Amino acid sequence: MSQNISINVHHLTRVEGHGNIVVDVKNGKIEKMQWQVPEAPRFFEAMVRGRHYTEVARVTSRICGICSIGHTLASVKATENALGIQVTSQTFKLRSIIKHAENFDSHILHIYFLVAPDLFSVPSVFPLVPTHTEVVVRALRMKRLGHEWGSLLGGRTTHPNRVIPGGFAEYPTEEELKILRQRLINVQPDIDATVQTVLSVADKLPSFERPTEYMALSSDTEYALYDGRIQTVMPDGTKQRWPVADYKTCTNEYMVPQSTAKYTKNKMASYMAGALARFNNNYDLLNPEAKKLAETLKFKPLCFNPYMNSVAQLVEVVHSVKDTIRLLDEVLGAGCRPEELVKPTKFDRGQGAVEVPRGILFHEYGYDKNGMCTGGNCIIPTNQNHANIQLDLEALVPKLLAAHKDEKAIELGLEMLVRAYDPCISCSTHYLKVEFKR
Amino acid sequence: MRYIIGIGNYSMADDSIGLRIVEHIARNGLDRGFEAIDIADEGMRLLFYFNEDTEKIVLIDAVDFGLAGGELRLFKPQDVKTTKNTKRLTTHEGDILRVLEIARNLGYTIPPLTILGIQPVSLEPVMELSPPLQAKFDEYLKIALEEIWKDK
Repeated sequence: MSQNISINVHHLTRVEGHGNIVVDVKNGKIEKMQWQVPEAPRFFEAMVRGRHYTEVARVTSRICGICSIGHTLASVKATENALGIQVTSQTFKLRSIIKHAENFDSHILHIYFLVAPDLFSVPSVFPLVPTHTEVVVRALRMKRLGHEWGSLLGGRTTHPNRVIPGGFAEYPTEEELKILRQRLINVQPDIDATVQTVLSVADKLPSFERPTEYMALSSDTEYALYDGRIQTVMPDGTKQRWPVADYKTCTNEYMVPQSTAKYTKNKMASYMAGALARFNNNYDLLNPEAKKLAETLKFKPLCFNPYMNSVAQLVEVVHSVKDTIRLLDEVLGAGCRPEELVKPTKFDRGQGAVEVPRGILFHEYGYDKNGMCTGGNCIIPTNQNHANIQLDLEALVPKLLAAHKDEKAIELGLEMLVRAYDPCISCSTHYLKVEFKR
Repeated sequence: MRYIIGIGNYSMADDSIGLRIVEHIARNGLDRGFEAIDIADEGMRLLFYFNEDTEKIVLIDAVDFGLAGGELRLFKPQDVKTTKNTKRLTTHEGDILRVLEIARNLGYTIPPLTILGIQPVSLEPVMELSPPLQAKFDEYLKIALEEIWKDK
């Protein structure tokens, strides 16, 4: 093998923010293989210091525009844990519903707009507009449902303002919840069509496998998204659980020279978080319809192919729709009514975790006797995946070289791998740059 | 229905100007006769407000016109052309003009849309506006409200 390869993907497209892939191969020997994340730290943890507990989630929800619901929930849960607040069953269910909304919305965005272009062999979604108009229109219709589903519970989808420590500031009416339920039933043809679209291009997903450790929230009673304990499943199928309070000993953050973002590891050199990690940990608790879809796709745990993360997201789309209908039936059956906020019983330190679209998310805060924040900590899932992405790339490049792939094919394979993780790096901007027409 | 919509990344300094104006409107109950919407950094969400009953949208965004920092311009999308390198941009990264292009190609009816563009000074990862934009915040707010309430 005497291949020379030089890949330098500066600011990988179709991910949120900036990440680079650098590969140097000389005479068939890999001299450099790096996933680089050059983002600057934003010091959210310092920003919450000195703020009252009622304000903290408003600040930390701004960590991410896509996962702001998840950050709000993790933040509020950590605060409630620190303040000795046990929320009511109705609050637990309504928050589970808004969590489903976020995962549904984000997964549809990822599957249709970020992954599908690779499978249809186009550089972005734009060329699909004239050639696959119905697919794009369907994607937008489903995204709109996700957006309005979240807005109904959160007040607004981005940065929900109704979810506050102790419960909810405002409640949807029963009539609104019934309309949502009907819309979730009506979305079935779009879900069926999505499955057909994915099946039509499924053979384009690379068959690469690299066994690793998979971390997700886990519960005995449900496919954990809003609540649970930390769990990992190892390549041999053994599982272990930890309380959320032990999150630091499960994540073990560390620095690497190639990245400004922190890396993490647990029992192995790296672990994966996200839809595939949840699927591998909690498959048995998926809604039967979601399981049926997985069976149709011949997709079962343990799956070691990171490209299948997007397929796991599709399975979760079905789960979120069906499980929300179940939760709505329970909430409406009991009668949805405004409740008093549960009051603090202490001021201490507390941790909270939820599953956001990209994986397990941890928040922790401390409060003084006046309810003022003394410090905080957040560990986001994209950072937890960086080490695993790096090791995947290191394992993938030799395979692509051995298969005599050319530089362009290798570059695409690596880009698709990173995109499969749906990384969300915070430094994206969307400003306009224009000049006036004369 | 009328909408003031903010887009941007809240943690990237002046990129957040639209979001902060919308947040200020909502927090102070100034959203009378219109809805104040924060679509964060996902421009495709703008399409959800292109409905038959949408009378008017005022979109607030950071815009690089090559002007002095903090300067503003009110304009229609058809008044400008993008000078951003859009070759590799996608919906997850593109600007709002690309979203409008998608909307047109999909046959959406684009409601009357005015952009309040504000020249950024800083697009660095900090959680506050640069001093020139902070100093002119009330002016931006006043212009956005006047524009949305016009012809009501």
